[in-house]
Amino acid sequence: MASPSRPSPPKSSPKISLEDSQSFSDLRRLLLAPEQTELEQLKGRLEQFTLQPHDVGRVLPDAIRLRAKQDSRLLASMIPITQEALSLSIKQSPQLISDSIAPILGPAIRKAIARAMRGMIQSMNQTLEYSMSWKGLQWRLEAFRTGKSFAEVVLLHTLLFRVEQVFLIHKKTGLLLNHVVAEGVSGQGEEVISGMLTAIQDFVRDSFGQKQEDGLESLRIGDLTVWIEQGSGAILAGVIRGAPPIELREVFQETLETIHAQFSELLQAFKGDVTAFGDTRLSLEDCLQAQFEKKSKGLPIMFWILLGLVLLGLGMWAVQARSDHQRWAQLLERVGQEPGLVVTSVQEQGSKSIFYGLRDPLAINPEQILSEFGYSFEQAEFRLNPFMDLTPEFVHKRAMSQLRLPTSVVVSWEDATLVLAGEASHSWIQQTQLLGPLMPGVTQIQMEELVDTDLKQFETLKAKLEGNTVSFGLGKSSITQDQQSALLSLAETIRDMDQMAMVLHISPQIHIQGFSSPDGDRKLNQALSLQRAKSVLNVLMNRSFQAITFRVEGMGPSSSTQALSSMGSGESLGRLVGFRVLLAPDRASESRP
Amino acid sequence: MKEQVGLQKKVCMLGGFAVGKTSLVKRFVSGIFSEKYHTTIGVKIDQKSQCVEDTEMLLVLWDVYGDDDFQKVRASYLQGSAGFLLVIDGTRKETVDVARHLHTLAVQTMGPVPYVLVINKHDLLDSWQVVPEMYEDLASSACLVLQSSAKTGEGVELAFAELAKQMLTT
Repeated sequence: MASPSRPSPPKSSPKISLEDSQSFSDLRRLLLAPEQTELEQLKGRLEQFTLQPHDVGRVLPDAIRLRAKQDSRLLASMIPITQEALSLSIKQSPQLISDSIAPILGPAIRKAIARAMRGMIQSMNQTLEYSMSWKGLQWRLEAFRTGKSFAEVVLLHTLLFRVEQVFLIHKKTGLLLNHVVAEGVSGQGEEVISGMLTAIQDFVRDSFGQKQEDGLESLRIGDLTVWIEQGSGAILAGVIRGAPPIELREVFQETLETIHAQFSELLQAFKGDVTAFGDTRLSLEDCLQAQFEKKSKGLPIMFWILLGLVLLGLGMWAVQARSDHQRWAQLLERVGQEPGLVVTSVQEQGSKSIFYGLRDPLAINPEQILSEFGYSFEQAEFRLNPFMDLTPEFVHKRAMSQLRLPTSVVVSWEDATLVLAGEASHSWIQQTQLLGPLMPGVTQIQMEELVDTDLKQFETLKAKLEGNTVSFGLGKSSITQDQQSALLSLAETIRDMDQMAMVLHISPQIHIQGFSSPDGDRKLNQALSLQRAKSVLNVLMNRSFQAITFRVEGMGPSSSTQALSSMGSGESLGRLVGFRVLLAPDRASESRP
Repeated sequence: MKEQVGLQKKVCMLGGFAVGKTSLVKRFVSGIFSEKYHTTIGVKIDQKSQCVEDTEMLLVLWDVYGDDDFQKVRASYLQGSAGFLLVIDGTRKETVDVARHLHTLAVQTMGPVPYVLVINKHDLLDSWQVVPEMYEDLASSACLVLQSSAKTGEGVELAFAELAKQMLTT
């Protein structure tokens, strides 16, 4: 076999003459002139080389892609620049960023809010719907007994099905990629459950010789069902309470497919970093569905009881209100009719009614009317100014009050005339005569039928005195012992009269009239009669009198039948002394004996 | 709801029957040793949060039942593990062979993942049978070999911490 040979170099260099050199140069120029020119140009470009943007732009995308494939250094170096650029961009034009992310954020926020609202409303509906029914009461009791919340008990009884938890599990490792729970459900040890679910699947699959792609579809424990959906990279397991409808399977399948579509690369390259799978939350939450028993139509008995109670309450309130109204109307009527009370207005101050108006001081105390109708001071109050009621009733009342009417006097009212009847003392009558016409509403006082008790007593004493005589013996004018005591008794009567005269403001004059018998000398008899009167006066004057004066008269023989008859019959045949009382208004004109 | 730990790793506990895997897990998870022998009938899973170089990692521990004449470890349980603890009972030399067998199974199923070789029951030195020469081959590919005691807690935290560290870097 012939080995490849190379031409051997000349052993020694021949001498080259100047002409040869020139010729060689010409030859070279002739042969290599175009390449030479190009070389010169290239050399020039290299010496003056600057990187042009369009050159970089041409290779940059490919350069980045190739470098990123190599390792993550390019990515790492870009992170701070990107963050800074983003931060600056937000500061400079927040609207631009806002507009850019709005299409993504908007639907996501709406979806999250709608889900939360749906859950909340459903829970509220459930609780409210059953809170007033008989069944609701039983459940409330059950909640009390078991220590569960009422909402929880309602949920358990009315639940057709509810997806309580959803696990997204990495198929190969059994690690938990994400996990969501329904409202009110508490998850615990999800990572362990995730592993156990995978192990159980492996166990069943291995035990019964099933293929790797086969898996458990369903587990059932009590009223809990675990539905498992198998994907190429992940498993979705839903823990469901109750009996789920078959349609739920489709929801699970669609969710798992969506996740696979979005996260296939991450699932393939999964090395335990689950943070990237946080974005599966919204999809998983779509699986947290629930359905509750529809409540039968018709309102619960508690509703009717409550309605009844409300109506009863309203009825009672209406009756009470009517009664209150009537009572109030009666009070107003009563106040309106009450003499001496004039209500001009009623004003409400808070819960209190204030009556404004006038009141005669002699009228009834209005508080008394309020208490009669069952109103307290807190409910109603009178604020009345005093006035004088001139109706006959009040004039009468006022008369009764101001005149200090004795019980023996009867008052009546006739055409503005105050008519007094009965008996009264002299001083009261005199006072009434003065005050009466001054009273408002009284124009005249009529006292014809009013008896002056003092005057009456005086008249009685007068009659008693005038009915008495003192008899003397024949020719006698001296006072015997017997006559002395009788006269002293008369003096008592006169003294009573004197006192009455003081009260009556009168000055009576007592005429002591002496008489003699007709027998004998007329002149002598005249003197004897005077002497007899004087003798009587002497005895009487032992007492002192203030208002009464005396006058002695010698009447002579008692020839005058008139005199005799006025002084009674005289057993002493006219030898006597009698008394006559005259009411002399002018005391001063009378002379004392 | 509690925050999900961002980084999770599946870890298998492998070893012969009654080598003390469950006790090691119990010691690691709750820190309280249980004298009661816990016979696992299939697999029992626990979790423990571990901090490695400022990174929080959730270890999901698959306590796979021990391999013996009656039961074989199911390979499917080992799938997806990021690492494993290979446990030998220091008082029973036959468990070294079981460990060797399990190591082979693990490598076949998981691929080249880090593991820690644990010679357990170090508190029972009186009845110690296993010497390093017996497990030289297993030790050469392990990221750490240590003697442990689930009873005293010796080496337990270190074994898991080292495994977690290794799993973080691979």
